[in-house]
Amino acid sequence: MHDGASILVLDDLVKRFGGVAAVGGLTAHVRRGSVHGLIGPNGAGKTTVINLITGLFHPTSGSIRFEGAALEAMAPQDIAARGVTRTYQNVRLFSGMTALEQVMTGCWLRRGVSLWASFLGLPAASAAWRASRDHAMHLLERVGMAHRADELAETLSYGEQRRIEIARALGSDPKLLLLDEPTAGMNAAEADAVGRLVHELRDAGLTILMVEHNMSLVTAFCDSCTVMNFGRLLAEGDPRACIADPAVQEAYFGRKHDADRIQALR
Amino acid sequence: METLLDLWAGYGSTVTFASVNAFFALSTYAVLSTGVLSFTTVVFAAVGGFLSAQMAGKFGVPLWAAFPMAALGGGFAAAVVAGAFLRLESHWMALASLALVLITRVTALNTPLLTGGVNGLIVPLRVEPLELALLLALCALVFWRLHRSWYGLAARAVREDAAVASTMGISPYRVQFAAFLISGVVGGLGGAALAFTLQFISPETYFIGIAFTMIASTVLGGSFHWLGPIVGAAVFTALPTAMQAIVPQIEDVAKGVVLLLIMIFLPRGLIDPRAWGLRRAARLREENERRQQAAERDAHA
Repeated sequence: MHDGASILVLDDLVKRFGGVAAVGGLTAHVRRGSVHGLIGPNGAGKTTVINLITGLFHPTSGSIRFEGAALEAMAPQDIAARGVTRTYQNVRLFSGMTALEQVMTGCWLRRGVSLWASFLGLPAASAAWRASRDHAMHLLERVGMAHRADELAETLSYGEQRRIEIARALGSDPKLLLLDEPTAGMNAAEADAVGRLVHELRDAGLTILMVEHNMSLVTAFCDSCTVMNFGRLLAEGDPRACIADPAVQEAYFGRKHDADRIQALR
Repeated sequence: METLLDLWAGYGSTVTFASVNAFFALSTYAVLSTGVLSFTTVVFAAVGGFLSAQMAGKFGVPLWAAFPMAALGGGFAAAVVAGAFLRLESHWMALASLALVLITRVTALNTPLLTGGVNGLIVPLRVEPLELALLLALCALVFWRLHRSWYGLAARAVREDAAVASTMGISPYRVQFAAFLISGVVGGLGGAALAFTLQFISPETYFIGIAFTMIASTVLGGSFHWLGPIVGAAVFTALPTAMQAIVPQIEDVAKGVVLLLIMIFLPRGLIDPRAWGLRRAARLREENERRQQAAERDAHA
């Protein structure tokens, strides 16, 4: 897994907040063109890893390599320009913008026109604006939200907002998409739709790293996964094998021994 | 015609000062629309005001050349300020900008060669209300274009959530730097406009009074659309005159009450595009429901 097949390599990644190590020496590989799950119990450090990859935090030590380039000291906007975009665990859409405007903002990197030309309203700039609009509309269609394009995103339901956020993250044609619990707050049918969208995107050549709590979704939609606990690697590889791993079972559900004792006390 | 002239005689100065204040409010809006609260508009106004007044007084520069000079001066000051201030966290930046306003006054008082010091400066040129209105319209045109361009979209994103905007490839620093430059140019123009309206300026002219006017106007009119600060400046400037005409006995109290009422019931200002959007969303929902009910009724029948 150390060859060019890995689009993203995390090596001995450490992030400390004061004395607490949210991530304590994580090593992981994400294969190009795969759907990779990042799982673990609450507080395992999954979102911190996503924040480190996108540059919102900088690691205390260790390295993050994306297509061979070191990301650990880069600013978020430069990382995005290299083709890494994301969604957020608690939806973070822009207040006061319509669904279409949100996704158009996501198209910023592929707007293909200088700010001056855009300000002056030159014909080429107007054409580029329309092209971005069409692209954003197409992405909204793709997540099934085109009928809400002109509505303020904050008036929509949580599940709908999540889908708009995915469309926004796709706006700049990324190579690696990071989804932080994309199905949280969705019902089974909606979650399934997100899973199918993720597969479509992968088949179109995108690599996806997703934080997910729903185990049946992980086994259904992830090609491989990394399991974290207390900021460290617990298991990695095939999702089914990972979930069957006794150490993973213990991290999620507690010790068999403890469960037996609790049972005996009743 | 006679009554129109009478009206102008009575309220002409209010209209003129409303347009001058609109420049200051727009300058504040320029940075506020990218999430930066800064009082440095006062500093840019002082630079623009003293620069254009000296140019007109000492070198006989005409009005049409003095305004661009004020704009350039304000813009240059803004570049220096932005370079230093954008390293600071937002609330510290607001505080630092207030400190800079105080420093500017003291500096202006102690450099009589440039500013006339305590004695102030007589400004030999006067700007006509119509010329001022044209200049303001030009500024409004620029803000209208900005609002509808990629810059406008990026500014809104940075204001609402700078971290999220950065993960989409937008550099908050660059957007806010550009915002400061715009604020500086418009603030400089406002300073010159004030100088050519009052025809006498001193370090006291560019002080806390302007800071209060610009913030109140922007909050009142709304800082989510370029029309907000212009409307806000008009209301804020006209309010004392209007109250004096309607309830002269309790003029000050009435002014305060009206300001409070607007802030309580319209916390996002008089011009609020989000409120329009919410109203439209509610209307769309209602229409949809009515259509659905009609369809159900038809199905039953």
